[in-house]
Parts: sequence; C-alpha cells; structure tokens
Amino acid sequence: MQAFDYKFQKFEPLKSFKKAPELEVYVPGHRTCAGCGPALNYRLVAKAAGKETIFIGPTGCMYVANSSYLCTPYACSWIHAQITNGGAVASGIEAAFKVLARKGKHTGAFPNVIVMAGDGGTVDIGLQAMSAMMYRNHKVLFLCYDNESYANTGIQTSPTTPYGAATTFTPPGKEIPEGKVLFPKDPPQLVIGGHPAVKYVATTTVAHPLDLMNKVRKALTYEGPTFLHMLAPCPKGWLFDEKLTREMARLAVETGMWSMYEWEDGVYKYTNVPKKYKPVSEYMKHQGRFAHLKPEHIAKMQAFIDERVKAVKERVAIPIPTPKQTA
Amino acid sequence: MAKEQMMTGCRAAAEGAKAAEVEVICSYPIRPYTAIMMELSKMVANGELNAEFVHGEGEHAQVSVVLGACASGARAFTGSSGVGVTYAMEVYSPMAGGRYPAQMSIADRTLDPPGDFGSEHTDAMSTRDQGWLLGWACSPQEVYDNTLIAYRVGEDHRVMLPQMVCQDGYFISHIPDKVTLGDQSQVKEFLPPYRPIGPLSTTHPVSHGPQIRPDQGAPMDAMRAQTFLAVPKVIEEATADFNRIFGRNYDPFVEQYKLEDAEIAFFIQGAHANTCRSSVDRLRSQGVKAGMARLRWVRPWPTHQLANALGHVKAVGVIETSTSYGGAMRGGNLIHELRASLYDLDERPLVTSFMGGLGGETIWPKDFDYMAKVLLQAVKEKKIRTYVQWLGM
Amino acid sequence: MAKELPGYGTINVPKDREVPFGAVTPAPVCTQDLFQTSNWRMKRPVKEDEKCTRCLVCYMSCPDACWEYKEAEDEMYWIANFCKGCQICIQECPTGALTAAPELDFPDGVVRLEKPF
Repeated sequence: MQAFDYKFQKFEPLKSFKKAPELEVYVPGHRTCAGCGPALNYRLVAKAAGKETIFIGPTGCMYVANSSYLCTPYACSWIHAQITNGGAVASGIEAAFKVLARKGKHTGAFPNVIVMAGDGGTVDIGLQAMSAMMYRNHKVLFLCYDNESYANTGIQTSPTTPYGAATTFTPPGKEIPEGKVLFPKDPPQLVIGGHPAVKYVATTTVAHPLDLMNKVRKALTYEGPTFLHMLAPCPKGWLFDEKLTREMARLAVETGMWSMYEWEDGVYKYTNVPKKYKPVSEYMKHQGRFAHLKPEHIAKMQAFIDERVKAVKERVAIPIPTPKQTA
Repeated sequence: MAKEQMMTGCRAAAEGAKAAEVEVICSYPIRPYTAIMMELSKMVANGELNAEFVHGEGEHAQVSVVLGACASGARAFTGSSGVGVTYAMEVYSPMAGGRYPAQMSIADRTLDPPGDFGSEHTDAMSTRDQGWLLGWACSPQEVYDNTLIAYRVGEDHRVMLPQMVCQDGYFISHIPDKVTLGDQSQVKEFLPPYRPIGPLSTTHPVSHGPQIRPDQGAPMDAMRAQTFLAVPKVIEEATADFNRIFGRNYDPFVEQYKLEDAEIAFFIQGAHANTCRSSVDRLRSQGVKAGMARLRWVRPWPTHQLANALGHVKAVGVIETSTSYGGAMRGGNLIHELRASLYDLDERPLVTSFMGGLGGETIWPKDFDYMAKVLLQAVKEKKIRTYVQWLGM
Repeated sequence: MAKELPGYGTINVPKDREVPFGAVTPAPVCTQDLFQTSNWRMKRPVKEDEKCTRCLVCYMSCPDACWEYKEAEDEMYWIANFCKGCQICIQECPTGALTAAPELDFPDGVVRLEKPF
C-alpha cells in the first residue's frame, strides 16, 4: 500500500495543570454518581485528547450513566458500542476515515479514535474485539477505566475485581468466607504479551491527572494501537466515602495494589514507586467490600501483592528490553 | 455493454461490491460465502478497489466493523454463512436501529449441529425480525443485481437500513452461470454515492445511540416500523430504474411464472426456483396448470403482491428451505406469512407446505411432481390433509 | 382480486414523542444543561480566598468540572448547577481552603428548590 499522509494529530506533553487545555470535552451534566472515579477519568482523557476525537463507548457505567435520555456529556463525536465490540467498532471507524481520507472525502485532521471501555468491556467480554483491533494495527487508543467490577449492573465481579472483594456475585458466606476467591487478570500484561503492533502501553490513576493526561497524549501520537489502563475507584461499588476517590487511587499505588508504568516498545519505565510500600490493609480498611475479610485473607492478598511488587522492583532496577519487533 | 461471462454467485457478489465501490470490507472465513471475500481481497491487493480490507476476528466483529465504518460515512460490505450469521446476532438490531445501511452478503448454510456445509435458509431467516432488509437471489446474475439494488434501497434517505443479500450456498455461490456485469456508467447512473445522515465527524460532533427512557422506546420502534411502510415504494422505484438502466425484467417483489391461469402454484425462494420453473414447464406439458411465485424480498414482506399473485390459485405448496421448529404449521416460516397474507381474501387458496432443500439437499424434478400430485389431490378434495410434509420422509 | 384487502395503516408518532432519527443527537457544547445535578448535593464547598493558591487541584479533581479558573481575574469559580457535592475537592485541597457547608445554610440552597432540575 502506498504511503499516504493521513494528517494524524500531534500532541505536546503538558508541563503543569495551568497548561492543560481549558476546553471541557466531557462536559458537566451527567448522571454518574457523586465522586465517580470513571467520570473524572473520562473528563481528564477528553480534556487531554481535545475535540477532534471520536469516542467509542461500549456499554458500561460510562454509557448508561452518561448518555441517559438522549442527552450526552460528550462534546466531541461519540458512538455507543455493545459491551462486546468496542475494539471492532473502533476498527471500522478508523478504517473508514483512512479510506475516506485517501479518496479525499475526509480532508481535516485524522480523528483521535478512542475506545473508553470498562474492565468488562476490556478483558472480559470485550477482550476478543480489543485484541483483534490491536493485532490489526489500527490507529486506535484503547482505554480501560478500571473500577474493578460490573458496576452499572449493580457491582458484579469482573476479571479485575481483586481477591477478597464482596460483590453481588461474590457475596461472602459461611462456605465462601472471603467473597471473591480468584485473583484478577492483568490487562496491560495481556496486551504487552501478545500484540506486536502495540508499541505503547501505560498505567495510571485518577489521582495522577497530569500523568494521566500526558499518557493519553503520548499514546495518541503513535500511529498504531495503544493501550492505557487506568484505576478509577468506584465509591458505590467499593463502598468508601465518595470524597476519597482520589485518595483510594493514591493508596493503591502506595500499597502496591497498583503500579504506575509506561511500556514503550519493550522498555519499562516505572514512576511513583514508593520507597517503602504500605501494607495492603491500609488500602483495604477504607473499603466496605473488604470489611468481611479475616486476617488470613488479608495475608493472602499481601502475599499476592508482594509477588507483584517483586517483579516491579526487578524491572525498576534493570529495564528489560524485549526483542525489537519488525513492522 | 459488457459481455456475458461465466461466474459463481460468490464472484458475482464480489463484482457487485466492486461496482458499488465499497470502501470498508470486513471478512471472516466460513464456507461457503468465503469466496466472496477471497475475490474482494484480490481486488484490493491488485489496486482495482480502493478500500480498507479488515480481517475481522469473527462475524460479530464483522458486523461491528461495518457498523463503525458506516457510522463514519463509508460504504461498507461484509458477509457470512450459517452459524456465522447467527454469531453476529447481537449487532443486527443496533445496526438497523442506528440506521446504518451497510450490506451483508449471505451464502446460506445449514446451522450446527453437527457441521453441515449444505445450503439451508434458516441462518438468514432467523434474523428476519431484526429490522434489516432481507431478500434472496436465485442466480449469480441476480446476486450481482441485488447487491446494487439493495445498496440503492438501503441508502435511500427514506430508508437508511442495512441489507442482507442472500444466495443459496453451493447451488448459487459455487456453480458458475452466465452473468452480465454492468459497466461503470450504468452503475453510476443507478447508484448514487452513500450520503450518511449525521455521521461521526470532527467538525460536527454528534452522539450516536445514547440511552432512551422506556417511554421513548415505543416511538423509536414506531418510527422504524414507519420506515418499513415506505420501503416498498423505494424498492419499486429502484427495481424499475435497474430494469431500465441494465435492461432486465425483475418484478420488484415476486417473480410470477405462469401464474395467470394456474390452478396449483409453488411458492418458493432462492436457488430451487430454477428446478421449480422447469418443473412447471414439464407439468404444463402434461396438462397440469402449474405456476410459480418466487419471493425476492422476505423483509419487507410483500403481503398484497402475494395476495394478488396467488389469490386466484386453487392450491399453493410452500417450499420451505428453512425450519421453524414448533411453529404454527410445524414446518418452516414462509407458510405462516403466506397464509396470513391470503387470509382476508374472500376465496383463499388451500395452502400446504413441503420441507425440502434442507441441509443442502437437492429438490429434484420428481419432488416437484410429487408436490403437484399432493396439490391436485387437495384441489380435488377441497382440503389439505396436513399443514406440512417432509419431502422423501 | 375480488375485494380490497386491508392496508398496513399509517403510523403517526405525536410530535412531542418523536425521537431523533437513528438515535443520533447533536453533541452538547460547554455543559449538558438538560441534566443539571445541583439538587443531588447536601453540602457544597466554600472557599476561603486567602488560603487559595490557585494550584488547580480542585479543578483537576472534579468529575463534574465544577471548578473553573479565570486567568484574567486569577480567580477560582465554583459552578453551582452541576456540583453533586462529592467533596473530593475539599478532601484534596492542599491548603485547606475549602470546607463543606450544608445546603440548608444558603438562601439559594438547592434543597429549597421546588422542582428538581
């Protein structure tokens, strides 16, 4: 295929809050809960990406609570996708704009095509569509706002719900005292592990707005698929005081429940690595979903996190470049 | 004027898509429709067609990809067969409700279990309530023609609906037949470029598919139903234009073969109509006044046209090439809708049905002879003995 | 055909019940005014001007974009129409410039509104 200038948009990193674009692209006036982590997440992503963006919104909280009654908060173009097919609908949009640009039917800047999917729409029912989009090398940014459950349907367990969390599908009981017994999937590693077209993967949280916006902007400068995994605490689902949304995300990083990193073409770069990790109980004690856990359960969680942190420490010490992929 | 060539139904569908200058194509392999995509991928690789060829990861993704493409203003094309058609089921309704007029080219295949490559219409028939335009061709020529007619109807602003253009697997999709392709000037005259309504855009931002309140659901449905009231006229216009520009002679809805003075008639859709036609001739040579009505569109269903075409016949045998287990007549679906279409006539034909051509079976001339015998007997007895019979069983 | 068959009838969706074609709506500009959420809150943030350093943490913490910085005036403004009262801004303010005050304390408090929205 002959080279063609699709007029992809360019983004500079933001140096400070004051330099962030003033324009709200995810505007106020939506039905998300007070203190909603994913809503804050959406707002920061939209602000960073700007108006020449097309959001694909697979079913989830950010569809149901945002786009109620035919009024939506998206000031850019937005399309609903089924919870199953965010990656596929995005592929179609990207392919359409490419061919329309080649035929001279679309002349402006190439839109930022961004899938804003929940954890279910990313690594559960949406995994196939996301993986295929990445394999096919579409210029699409796939974002996972991870609130660690199917929240919109009433807090059911998802593959990223942590061990020990009570959800409406994993209620703690006499036979199953810890509630959720399984350990969660690792979305960014799923992406990194098997998608040679993906050159940029990063994790961040709503407690790190500048970092979040810059990772979005960096991801959007790539001409292929990119992936961001963002922790977006859910006050209703995790049962914490709604003013603590950012605090929960911060504690997740400080306890090792979440790590902040960028993976660029095989090289890891970690940030916000605590000198000394706080015990996971510091994070769990604020959240009603863990209130039923016994000390042995918390110890089990701590052991799981200790293992994960060990891998972080190894990667921080020596960046591990994976073999270069040829395009 | 282009000359006649021999080609399969799959190649004809691909030629139709190429003539329509489709812009986004999404493939996934499944027999027998696969050959459509094999042909199109060659056209894209050779630079004959300026399109994005997306390798979908499944049929669900195929329909999703063309949904996104269509929403962005590109003419989009996909297709499938058998369980592939049913795998994509979730996306049919959003596609129709969002008014995305992409096209899906179906070469019918029997549903599992177990695997069976043969043709049967149950795959596409099971999508008939999802709001798509749905119709069958009975020759590679008609596949090519329907591809263009369906785009023209579906993209009409009075319609804006996705279309399923169906052909029988193998019988049409894989057996070469004479096809005359249109030249570009004919296609250009017939099929205007796709003009999307409110597409995704960077300059005119829109929201596609926000949630509605329950009380907004009924008007949403009613407006879609309203559209279906307008579709028949658009089909008539498009068919008339097509006949004029390409020099063909299609009835928009029902091919009527020797029905004027017929006493008994076969009601059929798809490939077996070809055997049916020659059987009508043979039966007539034996003194039986037989005729055939062949359905070209299942959605929208041509109620009045069928009443007109078949109202005067004494007995109709519906040839069902799909199943509706446990349905009112315990056979296929066509008989339900045909009987409903004839119900208000003062004098109705007797209507019975025959399960044939299932699982890829051939319906032989002798089968038509048998069906004619059953129908003549019904005429004589002034009643049908059963709603349905399974041919050969 | 012997007699006139019934038709499909007509469907007249009342004007006030019409929904947009294909459920495609224009995108909102600045705010989605059809969906004001001010009456959700029981408390609102109150700012002590002397303590505010214009660090914009409140602005970057609000899921509902209810803090606005006006550069010309070098001033932070709270947007009352959409604040749901989650108090993240109060929790996050690094200088303690924000405190929570009950809506009932204000003559225009949203709990006094007769009509929601």
